[in-house]
Amino acid sequence: MAKYELVLFKNMAQAGYDGSIEAYKTTGGYTALEKVLKDRTPEEVIEEVKKSGLRGRGGAGFPTGMKWSFIPKDHKGPKYLCCNADESEPGTYKDRQLMERDPHQMLEGIAICCYAIGAQTAYIYIRGEFDLGAEILEKAIQEAYDAGMIGKNVFGSGFDFDVSVHRGAGAYICGEETALLESIEGKRGKPRIKPPFPAIHGLYQEPTVINNVETLANLPHIINRGGEWFASIGIGKSTGTRVFSVSGHVNNPGNFEVPMGVTLREMIYDIAGGVRGNKQLKAFIPGGASAPMMKPEHLDTPLDFESVKEAGSMLGSGAITVMDEDTCIVWAAMNLMEFFHHESCGQCTPCREGSGWVLQILHRIEQGQGREGDIEQLEYLCGRIEGKTVCAFGEAEVGPVLSSIKHFRDEFEQHIREKSCPFNPNAALSMAH
Amino acid sequence: MSSRVTLKINDQEVTVEKGTRVIEAAKLAGAEIAHFCYHPKLKPDANCRMCLVEIEKMPKLQTSCSTEVTEGMVVQTASEKVLDAQKGVMAFLLGNHPLDCPECDQGGECQLQDFAHQYGAMTSPFGENKRTFEKTYFGPLIEKEMNRCVSCLRCVRYCDEVIGSNALGSMNRGSMHEVGAFAQQELDCEFCGGCVQICPVGALTSRVSMFDYRTWQLKKTETICNFCGDGCTLTLETVNEEIKRATSETGTGRNEGDLCARGFFGYDAVNHDSRLTRPRVRLNNNDLEVTWEWAYQKASEGLKAAIETHGPQAIGGIISAQCSNEEVYLFQKLMRETIGTPHIDSDARFGFMNAITAFHDVFGTARISRYEDIAAADCLLVFAGEMTETNPIVALKVKDAVRNHGTKLVTIAPYHRKRETYISHLPHLAHQHVQINMGTENTAILGLTKAIIDSGAAKGGASELIEKMKSAADAVSFAQIEAVTGVSEEAFRDAAAKFGTADNGMIIAGRSILRGAGGYQSMLRLAEMAISTGNVGRPGTGILPLAKEPNAFGAVEMGGAPEFLPGFQPISSEERGYTAIEMIDAAARGEIKVLYLVGEDPLRSLPQKQVSEALSQLDLLICQDLFPTETNALAQIVLPAASYAEKSGHFTNQEGETQKGREAIDPLGNAKPDWQIFSTLINKMKTTENVPYQKLLGHQSADAVWKEVVMGMPPGWPVLLGSEGVSASIARYAERLDLHWALPEAAIKNGAFDLQVGQSLFHAGKMSTYASGLKTLLGKMVVLIHPEDAERLDIDEEEIVEISVDGSEGAIQLPVKYSKKLAEGTLFIPEHFALNIKKMLPFEIDATSGVPYGDRGKVTLAKVQVATQ
Repeated sequence: MAKYELVLFKNMAQAGYDGSIEAYKTTGGYTALEKVLKDRTPEEVIEEVKKSGLRGRGGAGFPTGMKWSFIPKDHKGPKYLCCNADESEPGTYKDRQLMERDPHQMLEGIAICCYAIGAQTAYIYIRGEFDLGAEILEKAIQEAYDAGMIGKNVFGSGFDFDVSVHRGAGAYICGEETALLESIEGKRGKPRIKPPFPAIHGLYQEPTVINNVETLANLPHIINRGGEWFASIGIGKSTGTRVFSVSGHVNNPGNFEVPMGVTLREMIYDIAGGVRGNKQLKAFIPGGASAPMMKPEHLDTPLDFESVKEAGSMLGSGAITVMDEDTCIVWAAMNLMEFFHHESCGQCTPCREGSGWVLQILHRIEQGQGREGDIEQLEYLCGRIEGKTVCAFGEAEVGPVLSSIKHFRDEFEQHIREKSCPFNPNAALSMAH
Repeated sequence: MSSRVTLKINDQEVTVEKGTRVIEAAKLAGAEIAHFCYHPKLKPDANCRMCLVEIEKMPKLQTSCSTEVTEGMVVQTASEKVLDAQKGVMAFLLGNHPLDCPECDQGGECQLQDFAHQYGAMTSPFGENKRTFEKTYFGPLIEKEMNRCVSCLRCVRYCDEVIGSNALGSMNRGSMHEVGAFAQQELDCEFCGGCVQICPVGALTSRVSMFDYRTWQLKKTETICNFCGDGCTLTLETVNEEIKRATSETGTGRNEGDLCARGFFGYDAVNHDSRLTRPRVRLNNNDLEVTWEWAYQKASEGLKAAIETHGPQAIGGIISAQCSNEEVYLFQKLMRETIGTPHIDSDARFGFMNAITAFHDVFGTARISRYEDIAAADCLLVFAGEMTETNPIVALKVKDAVRNHGTKLVTIAPYHRKRETYISHLPHLAHQHVQINMGTENTAILGLTKAIIDSGAAKGGASELIEKMKSAADAVSFAQIEAVTGVSEEAFRDAAAKFGTADNGMIIAGRSILRGAGGYQSMLRLAEMAISTGNVGRPGTGILPLAKEPNAFGAVEMGGAPEFLPGFQPISSEERGYTAIEMIDAAARGEIKVLYLVGEDPLRSLPQKQVSEALSQLDLLICQDLFPTETNALAQIVLPAASYAEKSGHFTNQEGETQKGREAIDPLGNAKPDWQIFSTLINKMKTTENVPYQKLLGHQSADAVWKEVVMGMPPGWPVLLGSEGVSASIARYAERLDLHWALPEAAIKNGAFDLQVGQSLFHAGKMSTYASGLKTLLGKMVVLIHPEDAERLDIDEEEIVEISVDGSEGAIQLPVKYSKKLAEGTLFIPEHFALNIKKMLPFEIDATSGVPYGDRGKVTLAKVQVATQ
């Protein structure tokens, strides 16, 4: 893939690269950390990151430098960095690769961030199912301690910081930043009401930054090559490269690092090798399960935060799920809703009660028991969830439902009218098994 | 910057305190916002999403319960957008909610029902299968019907934030979310009933009166709880003269609406079948149920005959401090004025008297602290490790102070710090817990005082007192103190540093001091500690003594003690009558011929052999009681009294707060309020004519008695801190003080156990043992033992053991319960059931205050050997 220069994947693309600290160092690893500790003030680091235009890679795309600058400078007491490695959005598997194949790239990013915000403790909250990732991280952290990259007086600068891995227990909601904080504190993982925001009252009520794995992994490169270099990649306010996880009915699924702004057409048809079996493209999700579906007419949308939003969806976690012409959209929406229903934490009424209700209606429609008015009711219910919940999960769960109705209303109507799924007449039977 | 904020709610301007939540500001502006999870006692959780409002410049609707007001904020609480969202939340909540309102005990006071009604009749859009949960139970007293739950988590938050019990939690996710005992264990909590009270729907209900009433049938009467000295406001809710439940309205009373297990679940004791409901007179060795006419006649005849034959001084009376102020006042009037005897006492003598006499001796008043001082204190010195059990609501105030007001807590008690169940344990919460050997509180006070004196923390103007304390402290060493208490010098110094350096320090003295040998002296030492550290007479200072009886303070204040006439007017020692114990002794000597016992059961509360001998010598024993007792079984005349729920009257709690109790139901059967009995008897004694007793009632109501009480109080009553008399009294005390610290013998480890008899959280005295709900929590006599001791002796839980008291005859057998709170080598027996052990424990009487001590002893515990054949 010579077309685009790799940044995050550059090391691991080299033959024989094993992700060890020695291997990482031979590629210039930890020089960025040395640079900031010796030559830069924390304020300068934050400025550099602001200049780079780096935005959060977890989903919301919040400018990273700005997030850091919310941390009170004169705070007495601890500050924390939490690395959000709870990658659980269906279809997303980029952080896993970044952690497993090049853990020190992220650890160096963590170190730079800790220095910039004045945190002496960083937690990596890693998804419970990532056994291998957790093991690799533990090993990498030990290597970094041994090499003096983490711990006391790093590079003789007098800066001390510690990193520890905290493994999740399998709840999707713990990827929501405040639920993640609750979980680290040993409580039931459920989102907090905001305000206050974590930058002021975060982990243990102390100022806290929560950054995604990919966001942090970009930091050494921004320091080494400059914020301006980073900002020159991508388009508009979406700078740098982005790792997209492409899945579904494509010939060549996988993680691909490309500059922001590559079109969906290029991503699906060129980079991911086109639709499997030469079938017609029916729909795709551009940014993880929470992102509203899009149709072939949107293929020329560039993959950057603004453009995808303008097209009615969101770039989210960068997980592109492709569905071919044989996919039942009602089934797809139902399948996604099953996930969200299962993962709703149960804290607030609209999400707790709404997710089950919406799911039951989708089940019925798919099983051929749809009723007149079901579509309108789905729209009504989704409208009463959206914007009324404690956290963004409410928006996330209604996205697939509302967008599938919006783009494929006739298919829903056909299910109800014909009292059967046109793609799988035995849906009821197959779901029973 | 101004602390007031002006905002607009529905076009109406309203100015409120900064920090007010929008939902509260709206209420002030006359706009009640529908809600479920919001509760004024709890931190906002914003989970129900019912209280969403529109706020200008905010794109999304905001939860008004969690949003603080800001200057110039513009709020709409009933816009189209708001109503649409609220209707949505209602639809979601009603979707899975069962339509079982007709059989739901919350029906009629259910917030879901009310808001559903408010949002108008709507056809539920829910056409799916309802999610269902099996009905389950939180232990024996609480039903959990999760189909009705709106997941507002008020119960969980109340249990965490107010009670600090943390017994409840969330289980499962999404629409399968339910509230459960944390970690799915069997609920082993304080059973305060707070979760039931705070539930906005019928998800958590009381099993004690399940399906027994509809809420709109309930007649509510606000009164004062009778189960301890905390003085909680309790609403008794009745149908047809039967109490159906007890509640307390949020924010009301000294308890601010919080209750304990006794208050919430103990109400049905008064309706118990074994209540005495008709007067009884013994005639020719036969007990006859008689009319009141007869009973009054017999009582006055007996009293008159005794006066005639032996003189009035042959009559003595003891009254329970469960009686109201009016009743104690009339009783002492009957005794002192009508009969003419000085021998009157109350069961405040059994402990609280130590505080009252010591405080009067030092300060000239017993009102030296209030509950508000607890949260205002910077440091609390608590000699009541068992406060959750004895005085649960004051314990809540201590917890609140520690958790929400930054108060440092130092506990001194013979218990381990460990909390083993979801029952709070103050030592567990303490910043420092000083674990002492059982029964060495007195010496621990000396250790602490010595450390305070040494540290130079003793300040204030009481230099004469401090000098005397210094020389007394110098005469003993920390090594001697450690030999008794088992506590190191360092621990005393740590505690002294905390208390001595606090701007405002307050002391709380519980049962272990007031009812432990040397209690009077200990109260003096605590008073000296408070004075010498300057901790008297400001908010957040003083000493709070904890009472077991609801009217211990009032009983003495009303003159129910030989030392005081009403209003704490002292009686000179020459004119003083006998204390309760002295009366028993005098009866044994044949000096007292008639005893009038009101709510008193000395055979149970005092050494039995002595009492039984004394009672057998009497010419006449009159007992006035709620329930049959060992003592009233011996009485010639038994008068059935009305319970606290059946009468009006004032009660003065342990802080000296006088509150009015009100009649919730008619007296059971022919029982009568004690004040009516005394009022009638006073006139009956005065007349020789044959007048129907109804015409002899001297007061038409308890209020009329109260008026007489208040009118008769001495000038300057009540004496409050800050008055001139108090500082003069302190100075006089310091001047006459001849202070020498006496240390007891060092603890000897001879293999015997130290036994303490005390209170259970689930019972108060004997009366609560008639409450069906409380009986399910603790229904029999048990002995608590540390599991390691049990293991050493090879004793299983529930196994029967035999306990014998060193130097006393006989033994008792009872089952064992493990408790990790207890120190190794100690035992604890809750005192409420057939208390044979108390009859065997050593007994001593305080030389100054006349308080009897008999709750502790060295005992031997042995396995009961089952004979094998």
